[in-house]
Amino acid sequence: MRNLLGLFLVLAILVVIPSVDHVFAQADEPAKYIDRRVLIWNLFFKLMTVAFTVGAVVSGTLIWIVWRFRETHPQAKPTEYEKSDTWGGPA
Amino acid sequence: MTLELQKPRPIWQIMFSTHHTDIGLLYLILSIAFLFLGGVLALIIRAELFFPGPQIIADSMTFNRIFTVHGTTLIFLFILPSASAVGNYFVPIMIRYKDMAYPKLNAIAFWMIPPGGALVWLGFADFTWYATPPYSIISAPGPAADMWIFGLKILGISSVLGAINFIVTIMKCKHPDMSMGQIPLLAWSFLVSSMIIVVAIPTFAAALLMLLTDRLGVSGFFNPAMGGDPIAYQHLFWFTFHPEVYVLVIPAIGMMYEIIPRFSRKPIFSKSSGIFAFVLLAVVSFSSWAHHMYASGMSFTEKTVFMVGTLAAVPASGMHVFNFIATMWNGRIKFLTPMMWSIGGIALFFSAGAGGVANAAMPLDFTTHDTYWVVGHFHLFVMGTIAFGTIGFIYYMFPYVTGRMYNETMGKVHFILSFIGAILVFFTQHMLGLLGMPRRIFDYPEIPSWIIGNQIASVGAMIIGVSMVIFLYNLIYSSAKGKPADIHDPFGLGGTYYYPFEAKTPHHN
Amino acid sequence: MGHHSNWPEWLYVGVIIALMVWVGAEAWNVERLVEHVPADAEVIIVTAQQWFWSFEHEDGTKEIGTLHVEAGKAYKFEIISKDVNHSFNIHDYVVLMDAVPGRVNTVWFAPDKAGEHDIQCREYCGLLHYNMRGKLIVEEPSR
Repeated sequence: MRNLLGLFLVLAILVVIPSVDHVFAQADEPAKYIDRRVLIWNLFFKLMTVAFTVGAVVSGTLIWIVWRFRETHPQAKPTEYEKSDTWGGPA
Repeated sequence: MTLELQKPRPIWQIMFSTHHTDIGLLYLILSIAFLFLGGVLALIIRAELFFPGPQIIADSMTFNRIFTVHGTTLIFLFILPSASAVGNYFVPIMIRYKDMAYPKLNAIAFWMIPPGGALVWLGFADFTWYATPPYSIISAPGPAADMWIFGLKILGISSVLGAINFIVTIMKCKHPDMSMGQIPLLAWSFLVSSMIIVVAIPTFAAALLMLLTDRLGVSGFFNPAMGGDPIAYQHLFWFTFHPEVYVLVIPAIGMMYEIIPRFSRKPIFSKSSGIFAFVLLAVVSFSSWAHHMYASGMSFTEKTVFMVGTLAAVPASGMHVFNFIATMWNGRIKFLTPMMWSIGGIALFFSAGAGGVANAAMPLDFTTHDTYWVVGHFHLFVMGTIAFGTIGFIYYMFPYVTGRMYNETMGKVHFILSFIGAILVFFTQHMLGLLGMPRRIFDYPEIPSWIIGNQIASVGAMIIGVSMVIFLYNLIYSSAKGKPADIHDPFGLGGTYYYPFEAKTPHHN
Repeated sequence: MGHHSNWPEWLYVGVIIALMVWVGAEAWNVERLVEHVPADAEVIIVTAQQWFWSFEHEDGTKEIGTLHVEAGKAYKFEIISKDVNHSFNIHDYVVLMDAVPGRVNTVWFAPDKAGEHDIQCREYCGLLHYNMRGKLIVEEPSR
């Protein structure tokens, strides 16, 4: 599962970002002066696209973990550390 | 110390004690008191901003004083003391020593806080929590500003004394059988944050002194009329207070490192990566201070250097998140109040961090600097991550501080309301910032989107306010009438705890 | 511990570092473009004081509170302050620069359409900071 998470991030870098880049690049038409609004807001939306993608992956993982590994889940089983009582506390 | 209410002692025995759990208790009570005082100021601010135009507060000067004291209180009188409370209770026990290294110094460090807090509150200064010159030199009125300076001076010295105590306790008093790698992560977090304090705070202490003599007119360090440079103050200030952000957040992460494995019934995924990330955070915390000053006329090169320094903190923060997620993976998680606060804190930690990356990208400063975006961003950190971690830990400590159990339902309701409230307030404040609303304004023009944004944020703040009333009631009621806790396993998890109930009860002084 | 493999964490850290390098490079590139002031930009001296803005054009015309500029031209603001720190902000054009006494800070922009925009102060400057507002009026090009 963690491999999948990494895979999604790599995909985000390789596929999503260049395509977003491409779309934004087409919006820029040659003008006498550069338009700081366009440049700065485009950067902002690009960063937000990535931030929300990564955010969806992170919070999705978090929500799934919280749902799957809750002790009331039908498939919940004692962790291997519970028998030996070795998961923290004074050693 | 523990079981205070079952084996009562006269109050002066606690007040004049130098035992670490007694001082921890004093820190805890003081920080909770200031949490509510600072929170009331926040609610007044949000109520005033509900509609454009003045309603509740008579004039902008009062408003400016309120947000100044709000910020100062919650940073210096809530977050720092609450971390010290946890550290005092747990660090000596985790390193297996009978007390802090310097018990009397510990008591002195605590007792410097009430006079410092009193100076801040009685003065009620108006120059924002960073007191930027030349406003703070030539424009800020009367004794209030000077009282703030003296108050902060005292609080700064108290922090440094406390930090020295933690460093010596951990480095020199740990049990001889214990290697540094065996020290639990919570104690590590105090070691690292204390080291940041010792390096960072003296700079601000010097800047405060210079600010004071500038106000007295005998020097002109930061006064342009006397050949000084106001930007120099900003550098000195942020050299202290950017690392200070990590001083606040590292103990909160340390608290999550205690709670999350405990309630997941698994050890921490990788303790060494936790330690590594703490140390890395401490080092890079000193490389990013001037990202607060992009708009003050810095050169392209300076901006680039500080942007890189800021982005360098992200991998270390990410390692903590990874560690938390990997620890919960394959665990058997019991959702009691402390765990809920910790998980909520991690979720908001990501949002705050992503906002921080956007802040670090220098051109975006033109859109976000000094707007409500910044307010939303750092509140997500201090409230969403740090206060969430701390409040979760207060619930976690509750059974052995009082010997009784808090009310679980009220604790969960407190969390759910606070989480919803925090999202409503702070995410909306990000949007308001993008719409261009400057921070620190008493009144705003009647722009429809600003009005709606402010109203959503105010409603969110009131929800947090309600949840905090539940918290207070829970604390008071449960410590007096709550059902007695099973002190060996108050949360029914099994396993061994780092609970300091074995610590000797200090009947000697 | 040590009985689990560490490579997922290394991969994860690598991805974060790659993302941060990308963010830094993008930001650096945009900042480079935005900071380059065109050679033919007209200079407007912006003076901030508690609690209003005054402007001086290249031809000597002075204005208080309201600034008139023409669409299609580039303008470079030289921002100074007479008393405390302020911050000159035209949010609609993403223009922001602190006014710091004793310094001249510069920022430039090129309005493209006629219209009216708000000017505000974004750095706390005391009593009437909330009301330190002005108007930017962009007019049609005169030629």
